[in-house]
Amino acid sequence: MINPVLLIAIPLLAAFISVLLKKLSMVLLFGVSIFTAISGFFLQKGMFMIGGWKPPFGINLMIDDYSFIIIIVINLLFFITLLSGMWDLKKNKTILMVILAGINGLVMTGDLFNLFVFLEIITISGYILAASSGKYYSVFKYLVLGTVGSSLYLFGIMVLYGTLGTLNMADIAQHVPDISNGVKLISLTFIFAGLGVEAKLLPFNAWVKGIYGNTTPLTGPLFSTVFATAAIAVFGRVFGQILVPDSTIVFAFIALGLITFIFAEASAMASKKLRELLTFSSIGQAGLIITMFLIGGFYAALIQLINNAFAKTILFSYAAKAYKSNGNDSIDNMSGLFRKNVMLGFGFTVATLSLIGLPLFFGFYAKISMLQSAFAVNMWIPAFIILGSLIEGIYYIRLLVKLWNPGVEGQESSELVQSQFVIKNGFSLSLIAVLIGILFVVSGIIPDFLTENISKAADSLSDAATYLSTVLGGI
Amino acid sequence: MSQYLYIALMFVGIYGLLSQKNILKMIISLNIMELGLNLFIISTGYINDAKAPIILFGNEGNYVDPLPQAIVLTAIVIGLGVTAVALMLARNIYKTYGTYEIDEIRGENDD
Repeated sequence: MINPVLLIAIPLLAAFISVLLKKLSMVLLFGVSIFTAISGFFLQKGMFMIGGWKPPFGINLMIDDYSFIIIIVINLLFFITLLSGMWDLKKNKTILMVILAGINGLVMTGDLFNLFVFLEIITISGYILAASSGKYYSVFKYLVLGTVGSSLYLFGIMVLYGTLGTLNMADIAQHVPDISNGVKLISLTFIFAGLGVEAKLLPFNAWVKGIYGNTTPLTGPLFSTVFATAAIAVFGRVFGQILVPDSTIVFAFIALGLITFIFAEASAMASKKLRELLTFSSIGQAGLIITMFLIGGFYAALIQLINNAFAKTILFSYAAKAYKSNGNDSIDNMSGLFRKNVMLGFGFTVATLSLIGLPLFFGFYAKISMLQSAFAVNMWIPAFIILGSLIEGIYYIRLLVKLWNPGVEGQESSELVQSQFVIKNGFSLSLIAVLIGILFVVSGIIPDFLTENISKAADSLSDAATYLSTVLGGI
Repeated sequence: MSQYLYIALMFVGIYGLLSQKNILKMIISLNIMELGLNLFIISTGYINDAKAPIILFGNEGNYVDPLPQAIVLTAIVIGLGVTAVALMLARNIYKTYGTYEIDEIRGENDD
């Protein structure tokens, strides 16, 4: 059994060592990443005090079934990201280790201010990584929006602190029913706006196109899966368990989530470039998952979060690799590229079909449980979900047809009009694609192992009483 | 009552971000916003006629809340880091486009 503090401390220590010993940094990065990916499975569950201070007074780490499964997924995805972006690491190894410490802390922490600190650690590292693409003005926009967002979040939690005198999540969850509606409205709105920037909700997501649309094989899967999964998981923790919004304001939040979903899917339909299409698809999925968290469908939200994370890893790695090899990622020029890379094509196709939720793949269970939990609330939320999923299905199937068939759309395709594009250094990516593709197919046929663990995690998220007694039990 | 002044200072910073077209002025607005926020956080721990939270012999009476001060210390350091990265980006934007005005920067995504 491994103490969860080590998942934060060891990557940070390795990051500082790698500044001193630059030659060892590659070894340190992969060693730390393998350590966290494996030790995620052997994490000791329960509440951990930092520095011997009992929870309402000190900072605590919380490992329940929810953060346990998110930690495993995030650390595995981080390792996969390193493998797929192996040729683009350059001088970013120290920053990557800091990011690893940051995301682990973000998911595990039980303190709202500590959450802000870890959020800033990963966003500042994110600015530096994103700046390696050379699109400095886009990164500047991300920096301004990210800083304003985290300032609003800090403002929201300080309003809560001024009222309740505590920043501990469990203590706040205990006292939220006591505070007046006005304070609750202000603090919830500011915290929602602050977390909404990282979770890519509609009024706050102007930065996403410039960052996700200009990714390298390293930053593409890192931003779209590791960062996005951590941010949305934290969103689920804060709004699903700690600060549950009451029925008046929750409909405003749900409306924002659904508008994000529909508008992003419509924008993806009109995209001509692969990375841009995947960017809008990521925004749409974020809106969908957040809607699920807000209406209380935790199981559906978690299963779609995991499905989306693994699928987007392959999709973004492939798109960024294609751009890097050819200097262009227009979908029309890529027609028939999968004929040259059948392994990659298999993984990409399976991931796409699982993402849009066709039967026989893992995503089918996500779609069906989302619709079930949406129908349990009312009748118009599932209508929006079906509409958005339909648009998503159309553009992804069109993309797949284009990528498998050489030639121009509307004319007869033949092997003679092969695409000029190639994929350089694609072997490790092909291997990852095939492995994840097999995982999707197998878990689509035998889903019991995954769904059991996910439903356990969803139960622990909806069971706030156990969370409170675990953290505050010692008092 | 001074909290309202600090919140107003925060909104001055946000107004600056929305109205200014110069990257350096935007970074200054960002700093003004963070300054207002930090002052607001300090003000949540204020108690009238209370002493600094340092425990000494013979120093009796109320202490102000030390936690907001610790939080502000962290927030200042984070703000410094963000400003450093922002200035690095501003320098690189100037090197690439030769200007600090965002109106004169051509779109980066139309490659």
